[in-house]
Amino acid sequence: MNGAHDLGGMHGLGPINPEVNEPVFHAEWERRCFAITVAAGFLGEWNIDMSRYARERMHPTDYLRTSYYEHWLHGLQTLLVERGLLSEEEIAARMRVLGEAGNE
Amino acid sequence: MSDHHDHDEPLPDTVLRVKALESLLVEKGLVDSAALDVLIDTYETKVGPRNGARVVARAWVDDGYRQRLLEDATAAIAEFGFKGRQSEHMVVVENTPERHNMVVCTLCSCYPWAVLGLPPVWYKSAPYRARAVIEPRGVLAEFGVQLDEDVEIRVWDSTAEIRYLVLPQRPAGTEGMDEDALAALVTRDSMIGVGLPKAPGDG
Amino acid sequence: MKMLKAIDVEDALQNSRGARVDEDVAARFQVGDRVLTRNMHPVGHTRLPRYARARHGTIACDYGVFIFPDTHAAGKGKKPQHLYSVRFAARELWGAEASSRDGVYLDLWDDYLDPA
Repeated sequence: MNGAHDLGGMHGLGPINPEVNEPVFHAEWERRCFAITVAAGFLGEWNIDMSRYARERMHPTDYLRTSYYEHWLHGLQTLLVERGLLSEEEIAARMRVLGEAGNE
Repeated sequence: MSDHHDHDEPLPDTVLRVKALESLLVEKGLVDSAALDVLIDTYETKVGPRNGARVVARAWVDDGYRQRLLEDATAAIAEFGFKGRQSEHMVVVENTPERHNMVVCTLCSCYPWAVLGLPPVWYKSAPYRARAVIEPRGVLAEFGVQLDEDVEIRVWDSTAEIRYLVLPQRPAGTEGMDEDALAALVTRDSMIGVGLPKAPGDG
Repeated sequence: MKMLKAIDVEDALQNSRGARVDEDVAARFQVGDRVLTRNMHPVGHTRLPRYARARHGTIACDYGVFIFPDTHAAGKGKKPQHLYSVRFAARELWGAEASSRDGVYLDLWDDYLDPA
């Protein structure tokens, strides 16, 4: 698909800015996002090409303003919902519960 | 430093969404919490660019190994026990005085995990993925690498499951250094092709 | 469905099978052949980037038979076929401003290519 992921040759994105002594992960949510994505992949419910396609289907505006692990997160949720393993509603509900618990 | 890293901050819901997915997946018996910890530990502490550096240093001191590496990189790299996920089909491309190789994945962020670990943010970023193929010399200059005009640049866009590792040129003044000392000169960026190995004494 | 257990993680990572297919499929091209990439814009998954569509290149290496991602992503099978490293001159992709020496190599499957 002609999505925002197909970046080769695009102009205007600015400098590359490598980070000196960069850590493997920058936050705990990145660690967990990485791990649940890899672990869920081993369920065998989808293949790597399906995973990539799920990330590519992110809206271009969202794709370009979010980071790599947010692309992964979007892809993982898309696949879990499409395969009927989780529903949008239960994810939203769990986020509400966790959000309220975090605000107490 | 975060002044340039406009992607450091996730969307407001991201952290909650990760927690929600993890808790639901664990609850439903789809992922094992202990397995998550092992996965994180593997790539945070065990598998990283030191693996690739050992491969490069071996190729520098052992020409037979170098030949095997260029002919069948997957097998030659597996001699160290480095193999598996995101490195199932390895190809090593060798820099020479006439030719410089650099690796990108314009479509996602394919990277040889078993020898380099997980990719750095810049490798996964839109600017690198967009620019490496259209202006490799400009990208190299941003990494402090200036090549003569008559050096051929080969950019490898990892569009399939082949994973590329650059074999950089052995730095001058390293005659007589042993494999471990040489491995310490091999940087991650030199194996992606956006940097050069350290010179002896560079620390 | 089988949940990945902590004790199996190392094995699962180390013994990942990859995308090579052990099937005897005829190659449509040989090393050195000139090829033209297809001008295609599928709404599904593809690994032929826009910048390399309808461009001339040369087969640099035949990697053997691999899963074809376009069908595999759609749940339509592996459609095993040859995967090649294809060299494109920088000027073919980016025009006269690009270096005459430089090249970009992409890994492309038979189904993306026509004889030039």
